[in-house]
Amino acid sequence: MPPIIDDSKCTGCGVCAEHCPQDVFFGSEIKKTPVIAFPEECWHCYACVLDCPVPEAIRLRTPVPMMLSYR
Amino acid sequence: MEIEHIKADVLCVGGGIGGLMAAIRASELGAKAVVAEKGNALHSGKGGGGCDHYLSYIPEIHGPDMDAFIEEMLQTQQRHNFEGLGMNRIRVHIAKTFDIVKMWESWGIPMKYRGEYHYAGHAFPGGFRCLMKYEGRNQKPILTKKALEKGVEIVNRVMVFDLVSDGNKVYGAIGLNTRDEKIVVFEAKSVILGTGGISRLYPSPTPGWFNNIATRLSLTGDGRAMAYRAGAELQNMEMRIQHAGPKYYARFGQATWIGVFRDPQDRPIGPFVTKPERLYGDITPEVNKNIFLEYAQAGKGPVYMDGRGMSQEDLDYMMYWLPHEGNTPLIEHMKADGIDYLKHPVEFMTYDQGSGGRIVTNEEGETSINGLYAVGDELANGVSNASVFGWISGENATLYAKGANIPDGKEIQDLIDEKKGLLEKIRGQKNGPDWKEVNVALQQIMSDYSGALRTEALLDTGLFHLKRLKQKALESIIAGNQHELGRSIEVLNMIDIGELVFICSKERKETRGLHIRRDYPLTNPRLNNKVHIIKEVDHRPVTEWRPTQK
Ligand SMILES: Cc1cc2nc3c(=O)[nH]c(=O)nc-3n(C[C@H](O)[C@H](O)[C@H](O)COP(=O)(O)OP(=O)(O)OC[C@H]3O[C@@H](n4cnc5c(N)ncnc54)[C@H](O)[C@@H]3O)c2cc1C
Ligand code: SF4
Ligand code: SF4
Repeated sequence: MPPIIDDSKCTGCGVCAEHCPQDVFFGSEIKKTPVIAFPEECWHCYACVLDCPVPEAIRLRTPVPMMLSYR
Repeated sequence: MEIEHIKADVLCVGGGIGGLMAAIRASELGAKAVVAEKGNALHSGKGGGGCDHYLSYIPEIHGPDMDAFIEEMLQTQQRHNFEGLGMNRIRVHIAKTFDIVKMWESWGIPMKYRGEYHYAGHAFPGGFRCLMKYEGRNQKPILTKKALEKGVEIVNRVMVFDLVSDGNKVYGAIGLNTRDEKIVVFEAKSVILGTGGISRLYPSPTPGWFNNIATRLSLTGDGRAMAYRAGAELQNMEMRIQHAGPKYYARFGQATWIGVFRDPQDRPIGPFVTKPERLYGDITPEVNKNIFLEYAQAGKGPVYMDGRGMSQEDLDYMMYWLPHEGNTPLIEHMKADGIDYLKHPVEFMTYDQGSGGRIVTNEEGETSINGLYAVGDELANGVSNASVFGWISGENATLYAKGANIPDGKEIQDLIDEKKGLLEKIRGQKNGPDWKEVNVALQQIMSDYSGALRTEALLDTGLFHLKRLKQKALESIIAGNQHELGRSIEVLNMIDIGELVFICSKERKETRGLHIRRDYPLTNPRLNNKVHIIKEVDHRPVTEWRPTQK
């Protein structure tokens, strides 16, 4: 579940883990790819994606129960 | 658990919009201001993803008669929002809005659109437009930076969970570090609660899921729970609030959408617009947020937000504002799934937002306890309310702190020992339910026994069951680390609030708004201008009816 980090791009700078208001990345360490400790607590605020300094290192996946209903 | 001590003149609990504004003002006036924030103030709280509407009155735009503006505003969703707060407070609020707008602008939050103040959305065609569009995407990082510049100390990852008070006066608070095994004791001359609303008391659109909520899962009514335990008065805890937004992707922001709410036969469900109108939106759900649920229950739904027929320019305008309104992920989802809003109406639904209660304050932001203030969503929703009263409370708390001192009594130590005991007990418990399990149980009791329908028998049964849950949770809830410990304390706070909802619902023997008592279907006119107060006296809840403040 969200977010998803691309290991090959992430530099382990720790910004996402530091900024996440819900502490989804609890237990992460600097210089390592952050751990997604509590994926189900992500509120999809997008802060981690917007603040990550590396393009496309981190993205969010919309959980299927949250797919918009439209016609 | 190790204990850390932090001293402050003014402690702001919660680094949301209200808490940061209060701290900025207090620091500016010379107080030592500390913000304790359970997440990270940069993006925390309801305003953390951004907002795009600022309720504000500018005489040059709206005319010299502020009361005419207020009258118009009270026909929109603000009527429920400000219910029971009194006209004086509303006037103090509205009169101050333009000052804050100018201040925010000077701090770097763009309050103008294409060089001008621009009002749109939340409006009836032909009436005043009361909400200014502003670019709030970065409001939290900007306010955080401002607070640091002014010398505010921001302590992130500390969840405050109880006040230090003698029942009459407050002189600090206790928090837990949600990362390290630490308890943080704040010795403060005054305390401002800016902990936001309550989001997980009632079920989300996806049962058992805590993250699919219109606000944020870390807003758990901590402020009102600790204010109550410290002896402060709360009001109208039984009143329920609802919100409306896209179905399944629960999110605030309904008034940023442009289009017409239509039924499956393409008939507009409201009388206000028949084609997409960028300056107004469709205000129908502000008149009745329950309308989507009513349509569903009557077999007349689903209801869609329908943007078909709008110009590309209007679509670009809406897509420009939705990210400011904290809806970036929703737009990304639409893009990823190829949902073209020009072709596809999006279904909307009613969200159950839970208890509409609030902490009792006066126009100065003071609660019924000396030295304790409350701001923002602890009273009413909105960026404008949070920022104006944050500012006012920061000022008054600083004044109060000048004449206050902190007793170095035994009481503080006793409280620390008691709380430390509770936290360590929870950390030591094994094989019990985690916070999520307890939260699911709480939501099921709230929605089944104190939800859309209420009777004396249901309320008695639910309250009995809730008390059992509380006992069981205290005895057995588990937390494997400090983060889960914080979540556990949040659930315990929500159980406390749930109990108050039951007690107040029992006492309100009438039907009013969304408080539907099947056994008391009448709306009692004798309660029209009354607020329902609850407070703790000698460890027991005591309720009272009081005339609404003038
Ligand atoms: C998507 C979205 C869009 C919105 N758009 C608008 C809009 O356009 N216009 C408008 O007027 N309103 C809007 N709102 C509402 C607005 O954001 C809130 O009314 C406002 O942010 C309230 O400010 P606050 O400071 O009271 O609470 P919040 O901003 O919610 O802040 C509360 C803070 O307290 C912290 N906290 C909570 N408990 C504790 C504790 N125990 N210890 C320490 N810290 C704690 C939280 O982490 C949080 O940072 C929107 C809300 C959402 C979700
Ligand atoms: S989207 Fe927000 S809540 Fe989710 S992981 Fe990123 S920063 Fe945290
Ligand atoms: S912010 Fe980006 S680069 Fe830095 S740790 Fe997170 S994902 Fe990796």
